Amino acid sequence: MMKEIETRIKEVVKDLFTQNKIDLFIGYSKGSLPLTSSPCFITKSEDIEKLVWNSFCSNNLAVYLPRIFNPQPRKKEKIELPRIGILAKGCDARSIVVLIKEHQIARDNVFILGIVCQGMGDRKKIRNDIEITGAEEKNGRITIVDENKKEIELKREELLSDCCIECQHATPPIHDILIESGNQRPAAPKGGGRDFEKKSIEDRWNLFQEEISKCIRCYACRQACPNCYCRECFADQTKPRWIGVTDHISDVMFYQIGRIFHQAGRCVDCGACVRACPMGIDLRVFTHKLVRDAKELFDYEAGVFLEEGLLLATFKPEDKQEFISEP
Amino acid sequence: MHKRVLVVGGGIAGIQASLDLAEMGVEVFLLEKGPSIGGRMAQLDKTFPTNDCAMCILSPKLVEAAAHPNIKIIANAELKSLDGEIPNFRAKILKKPRYIDEEKCTGCAICMSKCPVKIPDEYNKGLSKTKCMRIPFPQAVPALPIMDRESCIYHQRGKCRICEKFCEADAIDFDQKEESIDVEVGSVIFASGSEEFDAAIKDEYGYKTFPNVLTSIEFERILSASGPTEGHITRPSDGKEPRRIAFIQCVGSRDMQMGNEYCSSVCCMQAVKDSVIVKEHLPGVEATIFFMDIRAFGKDFDKFVNRAKDDYHTRFIRARISAVEIDPATENLIIQYNSEAGSLIEENFDLVVLSVGLLSTAGIRKMAARFDIEINACGFARTSSFTPMTASRPGIFIAGTFSGPKDIPETVMQASGAASAAASLLTELPIRELREELPQEFDLRGEQIRTGVFVCRCGINIAATVDVPGVVEYASALQGVVHSQEFIFACAQDSQKLIGEKIKELKLNRVIVSACTPRTHELLFQKTLSSSGLNPYLFEFVNIREQCSWVHQKEQEKATEKAKDLVRMAATKAGLLEPLSRMSLKVNKGALIIGGGVAGMVASLELSTQGYEVFLVEKESELGGNLRHVHYTLEGEKTDRFLKSLIAKVKKDDNIQLYIDSEIREIMGYVGNFHTKIGNGKQTTNNKPRELEHGVVIVATGGEEYQPSEYLYGRDERIITQRELEERLTKQQSAIDKLGSIVMIQCVGSRNGQYPYCSRVCCSQAIKNALKLKEINPEVNVYMLYRDIRTYGLKELYYKKAREKGVIFIRYEEGEEPQIEAQNSKSEQQASNGEVLVKAYDPILQRNLVINADLVVLSSAIRARKENKILSQMLKVPLNADGFFLEAHVKLRPVDFATDGIFVCGLAHYPKDVSETICQAKAASARAVTILRKDEIEAEGRVSQIRKERCSGCGLCIEICPYTAIELEEGERVAIVNEALCKGCGACAASCRSAAIDLKGFKDEQILAALSVV
Amino acid sequence: MMDKNFEPRIVAFLCNWCSYAGADLAGVSRIQYPTNVRIIRLPCSGRINPLYIVKALQNGVDGVLVSGCHPGDCHYISGNLVAGRKFALLKNFLVHLGIEPERVQFSWVSASEGPRFAQIVKKVVNEVKEIGPIEKMVKRL
Ligand code: SF4
Ligand code: SF4
Ligand code: SF4
Ligand code: FES
Repeated sequence: MMKEIETRIKEVVKDLFTQNKIDLFIGYSKGSLPLTSSPCFITKSEDIEKLVWNSFCSNNLAVYLPRIFNPQPRKKEKIELPRIGILAKGCDARSIVVLIKEHQIARDNVFILGIVCQGMGDRKKIRNDIEITGAEEKNGRITIVDENKKEIELKREELLSDCCIECQHATPPIHDILIESGNQRPAAPKGGGRDFEKKSIEDRWNLFQEEISKCIRCYACRQACPNCYCRECFADQTKPRWIGVTDHISDVMFYQIGRIFHQAGRCVDCGACVRACPMGIDLRVFTHKLVRDAKELFDYEAGVFLEEGLLLATFKPEDKQEFISEP
Repeated sequence: MHKRVLVVGGGIAGIQASLDLAEMGVEVFLLEKGPSIGGRMAQLDKTFPTNDCAMCILSPKLVEAAAHPNIKIIANAELKSLDGEIPNFRAKILKKPRYIDEEKCTGCAICMSKCPVKIPDEYNKGLSKTKCMRIPFPQAVPALPIMDRESCIYHQRGKCRICEKFCEADAIDFDQKEESIDVEVGSVIFASGSEEFDAAIKDEYGYKTFPNVLTSIEFERILSASGPTEGHITRPSDGKEPRRIAFIQCVGSRDMQMGNEYCSSVCCMQAVKDSVIVKEHLPGVEATIFFMDIRAFGKDFDKFVNRAKDDYHTRFIRARISAVEIDPATENLIIQYNSEAGSLIEENFDLVVLSVGLLSTAGIRKMAARFDIEINACGFARTSSFTPMTASRPGIFIAGTFSGPKDIPETVMQASGAASAAASLLTELPIRELREELPQEFDLRGEQIRTGVFVCRCGINIAATVDVPGVVEYASALQGVVHSQEFIFACAQDSQKLIGEKIKELKLNRVIVSACTPRTHELLFQKTLSSSGLNPYLFEFVNIREQCSWVHQKEQEKATEKAKDLVRMAATKAGLLEPLSRMSLKVNKGALIIGGGVAGMVASLELSTQGYEVFLVEKESELGGNLRHVHYTLEGEKTDRFLKSLIAKVKKDDNIQLYIDSEIREIMGYVGNFHTKIGNGKQTTNNKPRELEHGVVIVATGGEEYQPSEYLYGRDERIITQRELEERLTKQQSAIDKLGSIVMIQCVGSRNGQYPYCSRVCCSQAIKNALKLKEINPEVNVYMLYRDIRTYGLKELYYKKAREKGVIFIRYEEGEEPQIEAQNSKSEQQASNGEVLVKAYDPILQRNLVINADLVVLSSAIRARKENKILSQMLKVPLNADGFFLEAHVKLRPVDFATDGIFVCGLAHYPKDVSETICQAKAASARAVTILRKDEIEAEGRVSQIRKERCSGCGLCIEICPYTAIELEEGERVAIVNEALCKGCGACAASCRSAAIDLKGFKDEQILAALSVV
Repeated sequence: MMDKNFEPRIVAFLCNWCSYAGADLAGVSRIQYPTNVRIIRLPCSGRINPLYIVKALQNGVDGVLVSGCHPGDCHYISGNLVAGRKFALLKNFLVHLGIEPERVQFSWVSASEGPRFAQIVKKVVNEVKEIGPIEKMVKRL
């Protein structure tokens, strides 16, 4: 299946270039390590062969769009916007919807090649005592080769990322062409901090503290998130200064709470921040709380409907009032 | 002399009229006979149908009226005589003594707390006690005490004078006398209101004999958190929470015995609202409303009633209650009623609320007679449908319930309309200009922070609890503070002078006053700053009275600590305050009026009279709108004649540019500066410009008649609409007078699942036409199938008349709509004695009826126009769920939109009759003139501000701003704020993730600074 | 943890038009309530950036009370409704992270609800007293 999709992608991209519909295509190429792939920017049809499609095309490619459309620093003269083709799984496409709604993308200038996603793998799910020297994917099975050239066969399902296991939107809600990928995976309602939520308040706090104390404020999470396109992040501002420039855990917490809260109604649960974090912090335990609450309290899912207002700019008469303390 | 108007009555009608006039540049004398303005609305808990807190929305208006330089409030006073005529009326006013010197009194209320005599509190309808020396209610305006001479022990027995001892302002004046004030005005508005029916007269209900029978206003006070029970709903006899409450409607209304045949218009909705609120307070309670018809005829009223039924389980029982009995053991109340099926039912209630009507009393009639104001049969000021705010005596206008019962928005509309009418008489006179010359502001650039802190003792109000000298001393050591001192009364004249002197002498560039509440006193101090050359926004107010001394009376040390903390927070914030200026922008004096029906034409003429240029755009090829299809009013006035003369006037008015057969293509801009493109219609009128510049927009696009798809309409010519009937009644009576039996069906297309609203005018229209039919041929049988007869207000008289004339009223329930069978309908050929059979279920007789009808008349709904959608998007103003334009506030801003400079009137807003339309059209013009008459409008000072380099143009703030004050600048794709529209709520600033937009005066850094030293 | 003499420091962000007026009315009516609360007046509950609340905790404030007009009553039409969503999400989020729910509380208080204002202050103060001084989130150097 994967190979067929890959071939189909290449065909489509080829057509786009030959018909001069795009100036740039964003997809995936082979990564430097086994079981990875990297984002790849194609500007001419000769390079199309670099494109790949496999179970590790995890990156949320939407992150590049605001940067291309809104170069920093702001240009005085009006710039000619490039026409971009982009490969979009469910989550990438939802990010694109969010970004269109937030005026960060010129819809007319993007061609969305949607793929019904079967879920992406997470390398971290492989036992970490194995040193992977090679890997091959075939028929829903992944064979890895360890340092002793021993082949280990794994089921694709076992490697799925947490966010993919729970994903409810494998089909891109917006696309110009859609590539089907056979049967749908049933979404499993687990993870995402739900176990965490069951813990006592003290345990939660301790875990939060423990996780956050790993954070080195490298901002890789912010860099990876398509929503973090602010021209000047609150974390960097000086007038007023929201966060002290120290590595005091309270300041780190402030950053994390602030950044994550800023994703309310916008986070599409793509897992980009989790994958980006060099310290292995499972940010999803926190980000997913807001995703869940948006749905439970306001029946709102980010990036699903283009026409829907923004979660934090709208309200309904039936909005729950449970946060109110009655005397 | 400049324009001057006397407004008699300080309820919401008088207040609204005064505010509008004042904004039009008219000097207003607002006369109120009670000690405070506010009227009945000040006593309400919530308002229907939105359940807004009445005081929350009223109190800003009270404060505004008090602060407006064009309004002089004369409270506790009476109009003695009114001589002269337009524009030279001479009014004699008698101001009764309050026994305090208003100049000296600071309103600190220490006298009230010390006064030993308790008297029943009128504000709470006598359900609680207040003092003989008292401020009538906390939000009262003027915020001054008044002494009840009759219960004052000094006045009665020559001993006491305790208040005098404690008054540090030396303001008590036991010897105060009545004072006579003469004013000369150009015209007068009577907004003197009505009275509540005295329920004790109907002794069968046991009011005043049974403790647990209350009137609706008393019950409002009980519901109110500021009422006698602090909002705990208890019944008077034992203080227990009631479990079963009955509301009895029409007490003193629709009651021939009492001589009040009209309907009081507001009681149904008030009872429904109270039933909802009660349920919110006491979830276990069961509320029952005994009614004759539920008159939910206003905008979104029926939805509210449905909500009460479905979500709050209010029981609605259609029955007229003849008596209330008491069970002496429990003091519960027993009500017997006939069920519709005819059986006698008895129920037991813990509390009974009597929905008392509004009425005119002998006193009111006498007053009217004294000032030569004619009254009608019901005792209300006589007006006509076409001049609904004009009294019989020239130069006098009416607003509010003095001309008949009405709810708050209608009162407000009539008040604004009366303001417009009153001002229109005075166009020759100059407006009152109030620009005071302010000294040049100091240049603060490069200056160190130099803060002055002034701490008020408020007599002993603050000083008795807070260690004021301690606070002064503490303040002096704070960063940036170069001066601190105390005052006995910071708000006193000499204190103001001293603050001004200190500012100059010590070059203060920040001022902190630590005293009472900024809500009433901020403006005063800001003025002192301005007149001393300091920007008024370099000011912080610390409230150590309401927040320290009064609420921590027994904890002096802690209260003092808290006061110090608050001063510290303010001083820290003050260091970051910046001088702000109010942006002003030029106002184009033209008005665009969309729609050439009655609403649009009346508004046009009104504006033209006041000297403004009007562009009146009508999409059809003739003027007149829906009124072309109305030929007479319920009251019998001829509409045709009125319409004809209206059209003629509009056509020959030089100030009105008429665009017939034209439509709006585009409207850009904002208040004061709109640009509009008009599309060419079928016939080009002439070479008028198609691109207009104007300062305001009035939406008067009207509504349309619903074309029924039910009841065989359109398939049989014997089935017609009311409009068609009216056409025949005027133009081809011969076709009518032979008919033997006519059936009218009400609520066709109204009050159903898809269109849950009431079209408001159809009941009156049907009755009007039924009466006409009877007039033409008394023998004709007219049946009216209805759900509720909604002849609100004085229209009720015609309902009664129709019954007297033999019109037969048969009720049907939703879901049991009548059925129609047409024999020999057009399609069938046999021409025998073809009849239309109307089948209906009569709930009283409890059986099915079949009526042979020669004609079936459908009272079809009024719909919002579909084009409203496009216009609403162009103007960026909202529609309600039914497609009618949605005003800024359903109670107090019934013709405004949240977006400044745009107004609505007529059917575009909601179905209404011609007199209500005229009212609203005049109201819209009044509101428009408050803008047009200014050469420049001043924006708020505390408005939002963009930091372009941070803004990514995400548009969140744009979507959030309720006033459409922010736009996305297309080129650089950044948000830009239109300061003229921004009201300074700060919702944008609080939402921007990049902190790219901030609210001046409440900036992030200022708030965080205060927060850092809590 | 329970120190009998612990006097928490509470910050209350109040909207000018209803809740601040409600607090004023509590004063005018001489309703006595604990001294612990420090009021910051803002034009509207919609002005409250959620980060202010987090900042207050970081500054060592023991409890935060946010209050605005009842839904429908907002002087700026919808400020409180838009803010309500942020508040609901923030509260749940902070509790999810392990911040005690008592520390951050929201209420709607109208201009005529002086007693309600006093009650809500009492409630917050008592509840925060119960859970003791803030430790979490505070930046102590
Ligand atoms: S990527 Fe990880 S370490 Fe870096 S700032 Fe984000 S959470 Fe902290
Ligand atoms: S919310 Fe902030 S970033 Fe977004 S448009 Fe408004 S000011 Fe710009
Ligand atoms: S402060 Fe309020 S009114 Fe002003 S721009 Fe922002 S959201 Fe609009
Ligand atoms: S003004 Fe009170 S919440 Fe908006």
